[in-house]
Amino acid sequence: MSYLSTTDFAEDQAFVDRFRRTMRGDLELSWMDVPREEAACRPQNERRGLTFRDLDVGSYGFTEMPERIRQNRSFAPRGAVLPPGLPDLQAEVNRKSEVWAYNIEGYYEEAMTRQWNATTDIPWDELQRTELPEEIGKAYAQLLTFLTEVEMIATDVPAKWMGSLNADFFEVKNFIATQAMDEARHTEIFRKRALSTGYGLMRASAHNEFNLKFLRDADTFAEASLALHLQAEGMVLTLFRFSEYISPTEGDKKLFRLVMQDEARHVGYGMQHLKWVLDHFPERRALIHDHLDEAENFVFGGGYATEVVEPFIILSGKGLKKEQIAEGVRITNAFQLKQIEEYFERLAKCGLPERRERSRLWKLVDMNREAIGNLAPAPGLQA
Amino acid sequence: MPLRFPSLAFFEALQREMRTERERFARLGFFDTTFGIRVLPEGAGAAAEFVLAFEVFDCVRVAEGLAGVETDFIAEGSFSAWREMLDNIHALGAADAAHSFNTLTHFGERLSLRYEDPDRHDKAYRFAESIQEFFDLSSRLAFDYLDGTRPPASREPLRRTAT
Repeated sequence: MSYLSTTDFAEDQAFVDRFRRTMRGDLELSWMDVPREEAACRPQNERRGLTFRDLDVGSYGFTEMPERIRQNRSFAPRGAVLPPGLPDLQAEVNRKSEVWAYNIEGYYEEAMTRQWNATTDIPWDELQRTELPEEIGKAYAQLLTFLTEVEMIATDVPAKWMGSLNADFFEVKNFIATQAMDEARHTEIFRKRALSTGYGLMRASAHNEFNLKFLRDADTFAEASLALHLQAEGMVLTLFRFSEYISPTEGDKKLFRLVMQDEARHVGYGMQHLKWVLDHFPERRALIHDHLDEAENFVFGGGYATEVVEPFIILSGKGLKKEQIAEGVRITNAFQLKQIEEYFERLAKCGLPERRERSRLWKLVDMNREAIGNLAPAPGLQA
Repeated sequence: MPLRFPSLAFFEALQREMRTERERFARLGFFDTTFGIRVLPEGAGAAAEFVLAFEVFDCVRVAEGLAGVETDFIAEGSFSAWREMLDNIHALGAADAAHSFNTLTHFGERLSLRYEDPDRHDKAYRFAESIQEFFDLSSRLAFDYLDGTRPPASREPLRRTAT
């Protein structure tokens, strides 16, 4: 109990007297006539319901919110009258450009309507009737172990920052609350699937965990978002799509479609946040590159570790025979190339096209291109 | 006149099927994307092109042609690739592991996604389950192909949901 009230209310005579008068029916009602902006928001699209965008009016809205939040240092909801004496909560993030994203309100509404349930939305009985060959089952269980590990930190990071944002950024706080729920559900579903394969959880990855620690320990929200939403989740989104591609059953395909939906939404926030940062806080560009330099180093170490890559090779080659491994290597190479290409595409779209030249991930791309053989990358990436 | 793939009538029939399943799509959540379908001919000739616009829980627009239409992405493939997907869905009630929309488009081997903007391209994944279930509704349609052949008759449908 580190925070103590400066008043002992039970001993404060003025407070006690006022309470007694109120309970005798002597109401003060000063709050009722406080000067304020009246609002009667209505849904712009009745089929969609009343959204945060519909509430974007005057001092209640986000459009008129200043870049620096100097006035509200408390829990007061944006637009409420701030009486004297509110506590200064010392939020760590008080600058809009450090958290804001174009369409943040839309991502939140989408997240709320697209929630799903890992317990009831997956045909578990059908999955349990499907017996996987041992090498496929073990490789799949190892992939699920890796993903469970990843998604746990993806839950912790938004949850860690939620209370550090100024209360005026509630659309962002609400969005990252949905993200924490999404990632918790991913941890749940990957654990459940691992424990339903017959093989259980396999081996944790030290290399991967160094990367996860880097994500968790970012110095600022902007760095955390850049590394988590855009770089890590962007690559995990491609990984989920690839996992759907190599999934052994229809039930597993559905599982990966559901998780990829959430992941793509987080990536969307990450992209629109980086765009916002570069548009409104351009002096951050150098810091962004510095942070990505280190993030990419961790990606190479974590994402390309033996216990991460080998399951992909076995799952995509559909076994451990020599020709199956060769096919698995070819397909996994194509996946890795696609993953990196999509990462650079997203950064370029956000306003960071020079990242392609600066990044050391190109070495990996060159290695993959040499090894890729005849499997063509997705035509959409060729432009 | 029988329903034919590819045709505007085919996609309008899918739109009607989706409207009969409003509750199912509402449960999947907001579905806000506009994408194109391009069916390339096996030989010479023009591609068949359609635009599908989704908003909230509904397919709000189906139209022929992509010229001048702004889309998030275009799903493109040969007639035989589309036919393979539709045959599979028709036979099984839903796409099997080898014929889900993501699997067919992932490396662009059978179908591919064309796009300009990676953020808008990602809508194919933000709404992946809604898109899959939309295509799976084609299992209910009685239709034939340009050459007059039909998709295989329905076998026992796949069950993808737990409830």
